[in-house]
Amino acid sequence: MRTNKIIVAAAILALGLLAVPLYFTSTFILHMFTLVFFYIALTAAWNIPAFGGKFSLGHAAFFGLGAYAASILYVKYGISPLIGIFAGTVCAMLGGVILSFPLIRLKGPFFTLASIAFAEVLRMVAIDWRSMTNGSVGLNIPFKPGWLNLTFTSGMPFYYIALGLAVLVILLAWWIRSSALGYHLRAAAADEDAAKALGINTAKSHFFALMWSSGLTGMIAVFYVFYNYVLEPGTAFSMDLFSLQPAMNGIIGGMGTVWGPVIGAIIMTPLGEFLRFYLGTIQQGLNFVVYGLMLIAVVNFVPGGIVSLMAPWFKKKKSGESSARDN
Amino acid sequence: MELIVQVCVSGLLLGGIYALISIGLNLIFGVVRIINFAHGEMVMVAMYLTFWLNYFFGMDPYVATIIVLPVMFLFGVLIQRVIVQPIQSSSANMKIFATVALSLILQNVALIVCKGNFRTVQVPYGMSTFELAGIFISVPRLVAFFAALGSITLLYYFLKYSYTGKALRAIVEDHTIARLMGVKVQRLYLLAFGIGCAFSALGGVLLMPFSSVYPTVGIPFTLIAFIVVVLGGLGSMGGTFLAGLFIGVVEAVGGTYVSPALKEAIYFGIFIIAILIRPQGIFGKGKGSEEVGLK
Amino acid sequence: MDDLLVVRNLTKNFGGLAAVSEVSFEVRRGEILGLIGPNGAGKTTLFNLISGLLASNQGSIKLEGEDLTKMPPYRRSAMGVGRTFQVVRPFDMTVLENVMVPIFTHYKSAKEAKGKAYEILEMVRLENMADSMPSSLTLAQRKRIEVARALATKPKLLLLDEVLAGLNPSEVAENLPLIRQVRDSGVTILFIEHLMDAMMAISERVLVMDQGALIACGTPDEVTSDQCVITAYLGEEAPEC
Repeated sequence: MRTNKIIVAAAILALGLLAVPLYFTSTFILHMFTLVFFYIALTAAWNIPAFGGKFSLGHAAFFGLGAYAASILYVKYGISPLIGIFAGTVCAMLGGVILSFPLIRLKGPFFTLASIAFAEVLRMVAIDWRSMTNGSVGLNIPFKPGWLNLTFTSGMPFYYIALGLAVLVILLAWWIRSSALGYHLRAAAADEDAAKALGINTAKSHFFALMWSSGLTGMIAVFYVFYNYVLEPGTAFSMDLFSLQPAMNGIIGGMGTVWGPVIGAIIMTPLGEFLRFYLGTIQQGLNFVVYGLMLIAVVNFVPGGIVSLMAPWFKKKKSGESSARDN
Repeated sequence: MELIVQVCVSGLLLGGIYALISIGLNLIFGVVRIINFAHGEMVMVAMYLTFWLNYFFGMDPYVATIIVLPVMFLFGVLIQRVIVQPIQSSSANMKIFATVALSLILQNVALIVCKGNFRTVQVPYGMSTFELAGIFISVPRLVAFFAALGSITLLYYFLKYSYTGKALRAIVEDHTIARLMGVKVQRLYLLAFGIGCAFSALGGVLLMPFSSVYPTVGIPFTLIAFIVVVLGGLGSMGGTFLAGLFIGVVEAVGGTYVSPALKEAIYFGIFIIAILIRPQGIFGKGKGSEEVGLK
Repeated sequence: MDDLLVVRNLTKNFGGLAAVSEVSFEVRRGEILGLIGPNGAGKTTLFNLISGLLASNQGSIKLEGEDLTKMPPYRRSAMGVGRTFQVVRPFDMTVLENVMVPIFTHYKSAKEAKGKAYEILEMVRLENMADSMPSSLTLAQRKRIEVARALATKPKLLLLDEVLAGLNPSEVAENLPLIRQVRDSGVTILFIEHLMDAMMAISERVLVMDQGALIACGTPDEVTSDQCVITAYLGEEAPEC
């Protein structure tokens, strides 16, 4: 009964989402949906190390690495972004390998700190390495429409690409969470020592989680850059856009759960855009003040995130179902 | 040869300020056991206060300490009471979120109120230097160094000999036992946060005569302070002081001979090396470091 | 007799304090060996050293002749050292999932892991609680989750840290046979316990620690009549130990 209902609901939702670009021709609405999908994907990728309790504030590092790898290949060497997707993923994962050095030794707060520093360092390198990156001027993706160039004349293809990415990353996150790696990460998050004593190589688990997370972030970044045409160090390695924003979505939605990032991104992305466009013109920075206040409120009142507020509702439904079955 | 000595001396003088800011963090870290990601923002707020006092009332930055330090002490107490205390028993991650949120709010309030411009204080002695054995020494940096040294010494004796200081050290050593011995932990948390804030504020004030302030000026200070505490060891005043000087020199040398743009890369490198080689701190015993996540 | 675990001169210092000093003993295959001692005697530290959560300052630990001393905890677990914790700390997931965590180090498929976990839950009589959250269980049941989880690592040697403490008499009577049952299934047991009666009832030999050192070793009867042990517990000055 229950699974049937879920399948029906999912099917309706899927059809609805697939049909959106056919009914809403407004570029603004299409852009908003696309952005939400991108952020769902980014947040869900950010969230994978969070299964193990590791909380990064430096995912901009992976984003920037992926974005720059693909863009440099395309702009400087004329290599198709379809190959760039792989290059971006690999480069971001290499960044993950470097960040794992401190990770092997470090617990929570110091990992977070190291991740911030790491992203900042890469931003500086991107500014400094002018021959490759054009420095702070950045790189422009030339407008040559075509699938091979990941460049399109309408917003529609990117709507579907972003939707696909979001679905892909959610499914991967769900799969990881219910696999051996996921169980080991959750055990490590709850009690690192107990997990070790139970035979779990926790450092290895955290490492693999970071590999998934960094690789996926790098991959998403490639699409994001080709959606936006421009790339400069301040945006690609932006602490606000790609480190804080996914982290905030994740925490507010519910860190370390599968659906928390989705809910967080759906709420926070339009809110962020709204604040930026309507309040941001009045006062630059006000959106982040609002984010900060929301974060403090979440920490104080709903430490499990919004998803934890919905958990009792799910549970009730579940127990209702099982009692119905008993009858 | 001349140049390297010159660079080292100015790095050393700047390192005094880093030590000051880091000791503030070390105290908060050791006593309240919270990773304060908004620590650099305390420096930023103090710098702005100094700037405005000078701008509106023509107050000399050094005179401004009389107002800035008490205000920042109260600010620290307020943060502890309003932001940190309610989540004292939450997980380490929750505490990070709260202080990250605080740093976000402070940075952006600064952006809204003060705009993004670089602000400087114009004082006659801002650029003044004197020559000693062929080396040029900047007067405000020298003042900063000795003020830092003096206040750190004061704090050292306060912690060592006063009753309150001993109680604070007892908390750093062992929370549970300190509580069992009747130490009023909550009140001392407030005090420690206040003092920690005032120390970073002093660092900010001393920086003002020769550097400028902008909303994100605090970010590197948070990072520097953490590196210094990691190097110096939790709860170790002397270790923190030496580590502060060390970072100052490394920054100056790296900035001159490698590239000023890669300053952060140098910090990051030191941070990682420090953690890999000696996670309990180069100079200190690192008590309680396990609890706050360093192991 | 066949020694499963051999500990030699094991020492751990915290600052200037020797929490465990020069401890040597062996655990014989198939026995139930008790470990007693006053609070702060270093019993749990000894467990942490054997399971690898703490690194020793000197001495050696060998399991079936294999040197464990420098191995990380997860390797020791794979070698056959299992343990429970004094303070029960189940992971924040269902009882079944708790037990699946260590099984996943041997089996990659969730289905197989689930099946194995059920078998172990049946052994500790928690199969009816499989889908509950540990927080909704009694302390006695949560202690059994700890045991189940440790058993899921397929240990040769199981270190039990106060699995009876805090339980009421009827719960003790319920959990006590479990220890013997685990041993009968082929697992050697070293266990810390404060409840003397229970300890004496099931252990074949007893080790006594005081202030970090091993002060006695023998059958329960031998140990309880040992002058040093009485002194350690009653706190009098011992004439000669």
